[in-house]
Amino acid sequence: MNDQAVQPLLSVENVSKSFGGVQALRDGTFELHRGEVLAIVGSNGAGKSTLIKVVAGAHVPDGGRIVINGEEVPRAEHSVSHMQECGIEVVYQDLALVPNMTAPYNLFLGRIPRKLGIFVDERKMREKTREVLAQLNVTTVQDLSQPISSMSGGQQQSIAIGRAIAWGSDIVILDEPTAALGPNETAEVERLVEDVRERHGTSFILISHNLDQVRRLADRIVVTHHGVTSREFRRDEITSDRLVKAITLGE
Amino acid sequence: MTETTASRQILTPKRAEMLREYVPFIAIALVILMFWAISGDRFMSMRNWTFIAQQTPVLMLLAFAQLMVVTTGSIDISIGSSLAFSAFLGALGMLWFGDAGLILGVFAGGLVGMVNGLIISLLKIPSFVTTLAMLIIVRAVVIIVSDGTAIYITDGSVSGGTNISSVTAPWLLSMGKFPAIFIIAAIVAVLTWIFYEKTVFGQQLRAVGGNEKVLRLVGINVTTFKIKVFAAAGLMVGLAACVNLARAGAATPQAGLMIELDAIAAVALGGTPLTGGYGSVVKTIIGAFTLTIVRNGLTIAGVPPSWSQVALGVLLIAAIAISLNRSKVDVVK
Repeated sequence: MNDQAVQPLLSVENVSKSFGGVQALRDGTFELHRGEVLAIVGSNGAGKSTLIKVVAGAHVPDGGRIVINGEEVPRAEHSVSHMQECGIEVVYQDLALVPNMTAPYNLFLGRIPRKLGIFVDERKMREKTREVLAQLNVTTVQDLSQPISSMSGGQQQSIAIGRAIAWGSDIVILDEPTAALGPNETAEVERLVEDVRERHGTSFILISHNLDQVRRLADRIVVTHHGVTSREFRRDEITSDRLVKAITLGE
Repeated sequence: MTETTASRQILTPKRAEMLREYVPFIAIALVILMFWAISGDRFMSMRNWTFIAQQTPVLMLLAFAQLMVVTTGSIDISIGSSLAFSAFLGALGMLWFGDAGLILGVFAGGLVGMVNGLIISLLKIPSFVTTLAMLIIVRAVVIIVSDGTAIYITDGSVSGGTNISSVTAPWLLSMGKFPAIFIIAAIVAVLTWIFYEKTVFGQQLRAVGGNEKVLRLVGINVTTFKIKVFAAAGLMVGLAACVNLARAGAATPQAGLMIELDAIAAVALGGTPLTGGYGSVVKTIIGAFTLTIVRNGLTIAGVPPSWSQVALGVLLIAAIAISLNRSKVDVVK
């Protein structure tokens, strides 16, 4: 009961969202505290991605409240850019990066610095990219003029996560961050998440099908079932068995 | 074993990659050498190169317009009709408002481009279909508005009959000749290069071609951006129309027939994939010159026009077949 005394960084209350006649999300409710890694698990179509897209601002919810640092996000201002201003960044599974563009461009996606109003400030971009990569201890990315499609999956994911934290965001949502990666690269990304959390106090929301990874990284686990965030576990009270039951049966 | 085969292999993947980068330059060099060998001094004369330098600018500007659109992964096949429409409005503008009225031609192109962009973005109709429809509609509008007659630009020495529309503008006609036309084209080329390589807008063209959905998710308004792209390409077509008006000395309803295909071919010869995401202004210039030189060289060599069209088609397929990196192509549509 101790953590309820502290105001949560993010509080999502009874959020719902329909597309056409289909109710993708009926009741999404969870809290996120500073420096915490919260995992959201659930089977396909259980409402995970709708939930995070609402939190990211990409979908406007039909009902419910989102409170960030004690301030409710007004429905009229619910947008990606507003959520970014509130310190929320998302690393989407397949949609985090533009493959034909360079690492600096991807890091600055949506925030390209300008000179004289219309020109790209390339020097500023390169300098900041080096700084971010150094902060992340990523030493493998050297040539900043190459399109990121020529890099390894782990390097790409590092840049995607780098983009999320480079702008001082408090909350980073990771959507299946290692689904497409091999074991070494998965370990690299997990190390990065741990490291960023420790050094910057960043909070993470982790969407993952990899239950071992969830148990390695997450402090708490929220289970979604049929569009409802039905159960919540702490790391120490979780067993694979209970987790699988909760995901498949909603128990 | 593997080491010896690797060292014997002359065309390693890395070298092949580099070679692909230079295909447009190699192609133009080969084409020039070939026609020089065939036609000798008749091809390699000052007079002929002056002709080529006069002939290429309109195609080059249209290829720039196409390059912008193609980089985003769309296509604009309305530019031939848009050229006729813009040239006609430019000439009308000069009839109505004097010399400065020529600017109407540039805006007319921008207008056609903006309409393209609005239809594509708001009605979500693919650019190929939208601009095909606009190709037909705009050409018809030009014929209706012009009543099938041309507006002539004269140097004042010949006075036209009363039933012929003409504008006396010797300055414009001199703009259409070498070296003025070439200097104008060079200035536009430099500005286009800066625009394409150095501005946020230019970077965004490639990014939209690379993955539009990612840009939407980070909050970039891709819909308005695409309208701007088509409008910008349209302004470039309008500019090309004014240059064409200067060179041809008339705004005719038939101007620019089929030239949209030449513009697409020039972009493709410049190594730009029509799937978007990549592109180069310099190579597009090379592509436009290659196309003009081949057409010119075949004519000088005495090849009948129909056969030179066949040769151009074959060249286009060959250039793309060589420059295409098949390992990067997942699906061919």
